[in-house]
Amino acid sequence: MRAFLSLLGKEVRALFYSPIAYIVIGVFLALMGYSFTITLFNNKYATLVHIFFQSAGLLLLIVPVITMRLFAEERKAGTLELLLTAPVRESHVVLAKFIASMAVLGAMIGLTGVYALVLGIFGSPDWGAIYSGYLGLILLASTLVSIGLVISALTSNQVIAAIVTIGISFSMWMIDTLAAMAPDAVERVLISFSLLARFTPFATGAMYSSDFGFFLSTTLLALFLAMRALARR
Amino acid sequence: MSTPVIVAENLTKYYGARLAVDGVSFDVRPNEVMGLLGPNGSGKSTILRILTGYLHPTSGTARVAGCDVVSQSLEARSQLGYVPEDVPLYTNMRVLEFLEFMGRVRGVDNTRLPAAVDDAIERLSLGRVRTLMISKLSRGYRQRVAIAQALLGKPKLLILDEPTNGLDPRQIIEVRELIRVLSSELSILVTSHILAEMERVAHRVAILLDGKLLSVHSLGGANSAARFRIRLRGATQAAVQAALQATPDNEFVEALPNGSYIIACDAGPGLAVKALVAAGLYVEEVSSSGSGLEDLFLRLTEGVPQ
Repeated sequence: MRAFLSLLGKEVRALFYSPIAYIVIGVFLALMGYSFTITLFNNKYATLVHIFFQSAGLLLLIVPVITMRLFAEERKAGTLELLLTAPVRESHVVLAKFIASMAVLGAMIGLTGVYALVLGIFGSPDWGAIYSGYLGLILLASTLVSIGLVISALTSNQVIAAIVTIGISFSMWMIDTLAAMAPDAVERVLISFSLLARFTPFATGAMYSSDFGFFLSTTLLALFLAMRALARR
Repeated sequence: MSTPVIVAENLTKYYGARLAVDGVSFDVRPNEVMGLLGPNGSGKSTILRILTGYLHPTSGTARVAGCDVVSQSLEARSQLGYVPEDVPLYTNMRVLEFLEFMGRVRGVDNTRLPAAVDDAIERLSLGRVRTLMISKLSRGYRQRVAIAQALLGKPKLLILDEPTNGLDPRQIIEVRELIRVLSSELSILVTSHILAEMERVAHRVAILLDGKLLSVHSLGGANSAARFRIRLRGATQAAVQAALQATPDNEFVEALPNGSYIIACDAGPGLAVKALVAAGLYVEEVSSSGSGLEDLFLRLTEGVPQ
């Protein structure tokens, strides 16, 4: 456990000591702040639904920027060899990187809670929808981070890691757009894998255990694959 | 005889279709400095990576301190310290921070960690740079930091991959001296493609070529007696050995093909020559032989395209 906490501390420091985390969080908050303000003044609705969808869209781009370096950088610098020849478990290395990345994304998403507070002070928002929206964003982020980890564990090139992660994330986000052209059986399968289809109920205040289970199982599967990729020697 | 710290049996490793290590077997005894010598691409680093658990062998087994490097990987890894060839370090950390991190990762108790880190810093003379960022350190200091982290947790085995690469002559001497000192506490497996380097530090050398182990050759290590090549006219090996056994401090090491013999003797060749002459043998020539490693290496690799 001590080794795991040390690994986690190293990852958190590496992310928060680098400018990447602050630039990503800064750009995200600036864009969301602009969108929140404009939408609020124009529509005068006490809702964050549009913020949730826009945040999800930005996550598809932001997460690969954070995950691309996690293993690729260590593999290229050779520090992965140093780490994996020390008495630590691959699962601890993967989980430390996953949790540290989620800490950055959690802080980023959490800071948009200011918008919910503003709505609460000046209006009467549906808090249930807001809670479920945030839960959906966290679940989506965890799925994207775990996918990014798998890809980063497979290459020593950060650019390749980022581009492939973006490709997979966007494909999974909009795969349901193919559904209409596919036979019924395939249509159901495509929709069931669609991140957009799974996220939409959360963003609109309707939570389903199947959607929750999808995000959770996809995350766990991807983390397992990242561990296997690391153990593949 | 004490249990070997490393036992490698028939290690084989393929990278795709390319055979990198071909059925290599050897052992490393307690407090022994074992060298893996071979030209670049001979499979030295791959063997180290298998022993450290970073790579899995395609076939064969290896045990470190009795633990299988595949099925008991964690236990095996906790028994060794490793310094890879390119000395990879977390350059965004300070020296002290890095050593504390590696100490925790290597399972050093919180209560013992400060003392263990201080000890490593003192042994590797890192006091002056302990608060500096690793990115600011010279190659020599980085090498020392890498060795310092490998010593945390008191491993039974230290594995050094080309430890003198990129160092200046003074730093090379320091590394050599460090290996000599450390060999009294633990076993060391070190690779090099430089013959002279191996002769100075290793007790035994395994010679590798194209992934195959050609020979394991005994040297004296850094504390060895001086070695001499003595050429005798018409003497049998048995006669030479019998003559040397009659006197203390002379050790028969090896017979060479041209009627020469390698003999180790602390006090110089005089006593050995005296003993051989007293036994009625005709001494034609006496010369310093180093360890005989060069002769052996050239003989083993003769005719092999490089």
